[in-house]
Amino acid sequence: MRWTGGPGCVGGAWRCAWLLAVGLWLGGWGLSDARGDSVLEGLVPLPKSHTLPVMNQRYEIVARGGVLAPRPPVAILYLEGAFTNPPPPVVQRVLQKEYMFLPGLLPVQVGTRVEFPNLDPTYHNVFSYSSPKRFDLGRYRPEDRPVPYQVFEKPGLVTLRCDIHEHMRGLILVVETPYFALSDTEGRFHLPGLPPGRHTLKAWLDSRTTLQVPVTVIAGTTNRVVFQ
Amino acid sequence: MNFLRSLTWLLLPASVLRASASLDEALDRVDERLTVSSWGGRVRTRLSGTLDLEAYQVEQPPPGLLQTGAHQLLIPRLTLFLDSQIGPKLYAFAQFRADRGFDPSDTPAEVRADEYAVRYTPWEDGRVSFQAGKFGTVVGSWRQRHLSWQNPFITAPMAYEQILGIYDGEAPSSFRDIVYVEPGSRYEYNPLIWGPSYTSGFQVAGVWGAFEYAAELKNAALSSRPEAWDFTDTGFAHPTISARLAYRPSPMWCFGVSGSEGSYMRPEAVPTFPDATGIGDYRQYLLGQEASFAWHHFEFWAEVFEGRFEIPRYGNADTVSGYLEGRYKVTPQLYVAMRWNQQWFGEIRNDSGRMRSWGYELRGLDTAVGFRPTAHTQIKLQWSVHQTTWRQLENAHTLAAQFTLRF
Repeated sequence: MRWTGGPGCVGGAWRCAWLLAVGLWLGGWGLSDARGDSVLEGLVPLPKSHTLPVMNQRYEIVARGGVLAPRPPVAILYLEGAFTNPPPPVVQRVLQKEYMFLPGLLPVQVGTRVEFPNLDPTYHNVFSYSSPKRFDLGRYRPEDRPVPYQVFEKPGLVTLRCDIHEHMRGLILVVETPYFALSDTEGRFHLPGLPPGRHTLKAWLDSRTTLQVPVTVIAGTTNRVVFQ
Repeated sequence: MNFLRSLTWLLLPASVLRASASLDEALDRVDERLTVSSWGGRVRTRLSGTLDLEAYQVEQPPPGLLQTGAHQLLIPRLTLFLDSQIGPKLYAFAQFRADRGFDPSDTPAEVRADEYAVRYTPWEDGRVSFQAGKFGTVVGSWRQRHLSWQNPFITAPMAYEQILGIYDGEAPSSFRDIVYVEPGSRYEYNPLIWGPSYTSGFQVAGVWGAFEYAAELKNAALSSRPEAWDFTDTGFAHPTISARLAYRPSPMWCFGVSGSEGSYMRPEAVPTFPDATGIGDYRQYLLGQEASFAWHHFEFWAEVFEGRFEIPRYGNADTVSGYLEGRYKVTPQLYVAMRWNQQWFGEIRNDSGRMRSWGYELRGLDTAVGFRPTAHTQIKLQWSVHQTTWRQLENAHTLAAQFTLRF
């Protein structure tokens, strides 16, 4: 009998074992948690009015005409509950671009690192006096590295401001869940990849209004929720 | 004791406001309510303002442009700003104040329109803009931070508020009139630049790459008093021309030069002039250099002005005034600031024909600490000591406190 596999066969066995391990690991995700299949979607009523900011240009010439883009209201949808093996937070960014914070509203998970790159050809000075996170990044140039950042460790609402441009305002909602999404400007939302179980779905509309409904997420299904 | 009482009144509302976590949210909502738009957002108007409460403890005579015969002064001030964006090319703004005089004084309350202007910017890149109205001078760099919320101090740098032996209401009748400022009539005299100099006129300004330029044609000189700033007060018979050119290689640095030239005497002074001379024969010239730096939590500004006044019968009176100013944020809410001011005077011929200095050399140290309990409130404390070779003002100390609510 001729041994045809030789060392190559041994190597192939190792490769097979490795592929099997990876397959089991990936399968484990699917077996232990059905996220990826479960979806909540629906509609949330949004505040009717929204402001169009006006830039104070009294003592300086501002390029681009000083006209700021409109910022229609949107809602933050997030799922609260006891979750096993929640995914770790990913790094987020709030840009300072054309004299505005972009995005103007950002939901993040507790422990998220948020970077604040300055994309304008001038100084900004991002700061917050909100109790969940008090900081002042100072003045830095667009090319300065590393990009200034903050880690948001406490849940709550953080109002971002610029010490130089008083019209600039942004919000970061720090939540204790990895499952959140922004609605569109019509109030439609789509929250995918949820773990099955009984949870509470919350809709943050503004600093005074948060709606909530109990939901049951069933693996592999799409549930529709309409906030009243 | 009165100053301490005033200070307590200033700190009390700040402490209460500090305890109110929702104050910022409430004032943000007020801000949204005070911003209106129409024509699909093409026309937007925002009303904002500050409410200031200032307390001074001064020696007599008081420093700068303070007008009081007392040792304590309490000044409330309401300032309203109107900013309007009409399409991408038209911008208008106005500033109204209710207080006890443009400069801190114990005079009765009054309401004024301090600034109002319309600006047209034909191109989006800001290469040129045209502005007309009543607004702060383009000269120097202090204009950008002269309002109570932005100014690290309560008072202005020496060049913008220290009165000189110059007075615009009549020609001096003797050398003593120039060199000796009567304490009882200090408001008759003028500084090198009167505050932000909200005079009336036209401005052309723009940005070309790293360069900023501005030129203005105004109705009154930089040293002119607030009563001369309106179109209706002095007209345009003797305009002042000013210009500024600045180089900003990066947001960190800015270097600029400014110049100004115009008549500074008022019409009521004409009968006291030497024969065959008029307002146009007595001019104020000013040349300024500035530098500024900002990096992280530190900001620094420096300005030097060389000024010349043509004084009836006494010729050219020269002066140099400058300052170095720095601010450092110790924490997100707390900053400290320090400013060194200095002013020198040239010589003119006195009544006996000898060359004599027409002013007393001045030095001044201003120190301040500022705290922002919330994003809309600020408390400042300032201590200043000014020295001069004139015995009456030797080591004059000033204590000042200011509480500001911004909305």
